Amino acid sequence: MSKLVLKFESSVLKEVAVGQQEVSIGRSPDNGIVIDNPAISSYHARVFHEDGRLMLQDFGSLNGTFVNGQRVKMVMLKPGDSVGIGKHTIVVTDSVEVRAHSLDNAAVKPAVPKINETVMLDTKDRREFLRQVAAVGESAQPAPGRMKVPTLVVLKGSTDRREYTLTDKLIVVGKSAMATVKLTGWFKPKAAAQINRREDNSYYIGPADKVPSVNGTPITHPTKLASGDVIEVAGVELEFVVRD
Amino acid sequence: MEVGARSDIGRVRENNEDSFRLAPEMNLFVLSDGMGGLESGERASRMATETVLTHCRDAQADAAIAVFGKQIEGVGEVSNRLASAVRLANQEIFQAAQELGSKGGMGATIVAVRMLDDRACIAHVGDSRAYLFRDERLNQLTEDHSFVAEQVRRGIITLEQAGRSRMQNVLTRALGVEQNVDVEVTEELLREGDIYLLCSDGLFRELSEPQIAGILQEASSAQQAADNLVEQANHAGGGDNITAIVLRHSPKAAGAMSKIGRWFKPSEDPL
Repeated sequence: MSKLVLKFESSVLKEVAVGQQEVSIGRSPDNGIVIDNPAISSYHARVFHEDGRLMLQDFGSLNGTFVNGQRVKMVMLKPGDSVGIGKHTIVVTDSVEVRAHSLDNAAVKPAVPKINETVMLDTKDRREFLRQVAAVGESAQPAPGRMKVPTLVVLKGSTDRREYTLTDKLIVVGKSAMATVKLTGWFKPKAAAQINRREDNSYYIGPADKVPSVNGTPITHPTKLASGDVIEVAGVELEFVVRD
Repeated sequence: MEVGARSDIGRVRENNEDSFRLAPEMNLFVLSDGMGGLESGERASRMATETVLTHCRDAQADAAIAVFGKQIEGVGEVSNRLASAVRLANQEIFQAAQELGSKGGMGATIVAVRMLDDRACIAHVGDSRAYLFRDERLNQLTEDHSFVAEQVRRGIITLEQAGRSRMQNVLTRALGVEQNVDVEVTEELLREGDIYLLCSDGLFRELSEPQIAGILQEASSAQQAADNLVEQANHAGGGDNITAIVLRHSPKAAGAMSKIGRWFKPSEDPL
C-alpha cells in the first residue's frame, strides 16, 4: 500500500495511507490532507488508485501541482516521487507496515468515548506537550524573538494614508469612524472588509459589507494572510507585508 | 440586541455544571462550564460568571477601579476590562480550589462578550466558544484552549481527526488551575443582522456547524434559537450539559430607539 508523507521543509507533518478511498488535498478542512495556506486551493488535487496504478490529479489549481519539479495535471505516481504544492512537499512511499498500523487505528475508534469529563492538562504534562509540539511544528511557525512589523501598503485607491502599520487586533477597511484603513470618496462602504490578528500573531481577512479578494481569489470566510498578499476591496488595492 | 438563552442538564449528567449570566443593560453576556464534579463544578462556573459581571458593573460605576493584570495591546478599554474580570474570576476560583485541596480538580471555562456600537469584545479561556453567523455562514470566533485544538493548529492532526480524538476533553487553559491565567481577547466587527452564539462544549460536540447554522437561521427569535439548539443537542445524545446564549443584532430598531433615547438624555453641558 502507498503512503503519502506531508512535509514542510524537513519536518514531517502528517502521513496518510492511500487505500480504496481517494485522498484529496487542499485548504478546506474536509480534505484528507489539509494544508492551511493561502497559496493552496480549497480543493487542490487528489491521489487515487486506477487500474492498480496510483494517480495524481490537479483540480485546475491556481498555483499548480508539481511532481519532481514538473507542473502536472494528471500523472501516475511511483514510490520516491516528490509532489510539490505551495511550500509543502508530499513524498510518495511504498510501505507494507502501514496496513497493520491503520488497522490498529480502526480497532481503537469504536472505543472512543463521545464525551468525557473535562479535565485540565496538568502543568508538567502541558509543558512537555508544548515542548513536543513546538519541535514538530517549528518550521511552520514564525521564528520567535524577531520583531515582525505587519503593514498594509496602499497600491491603488483613495485612502487617508499610503501605509498602515498594524497594531490593533481588529482592523477595519472602510469609511466608518472605527476603520484603521480609512476609505475616502463617495459611496464607500462603512466596513468593506475586516482583518483580525489572532493570538499567534497571524492575520486573517474576512468579508464585511463587501467580499474582498486576495491575489484575485474572492474571500468568503476568514483566510490567513501571508506576506506579499494583495488585497482588493471597494476599489482599493492593499499589499500585506510583514517586515523584520 | 435581542437576547435568548437556555441551559440544560442534558441526558446523561446528574447535575448542571454550566452557568450563564445576562446583563443586557451593559450588553454583557457570560457563559461558563464548570469542572471538578459534585458541587465543585457548579460552584466554579457560578463564581466565574458572577465575578465577571460584578467586576464589569463596578468598573462601569467607577472607572477608577484598577485593571487587574497586564494591559493587552491592540484592543480597547472594554476588552481589557473584560480580560481583567476574567483574571479576577480565575483568582477567586483558584482560592476556592486551594481551600478544597488539590484532589478536587475544581475549575471552569469561560466565554464573555460585551457589545459596543461597532464591535463585539470577546474574552475566553478553555473550550467554551463564541460563533458568529453572518451572510449565511457560521464562523468560530474563539480558538479552543484544548489539547486537540493545539494539535490542529500545529498541523499534527486534522479537524476531522480532532473530532474523533480521545483527548477532546483535555484543556490546556482553564480558570482556577493556576494563580494566573492567560486570557485570550478577540474583537469582531458588529454588523446589522449579525447573530452571535456563546455555547458550552455540550452543544458543539453534539451538533455539526451546518446544523447550528440552520437552527440560527430558521428561528424566529433569539430565545427560540437557544431553545432549539438545546433541544437538538439533547436529541443528538445530550451527553453533557448544554448551554446556549443567542444574541441577534438588529440595529434598525436599535438605531431608532437610541435616537429617541438621546432626546431625553440630560445634556452634558452644565447650563
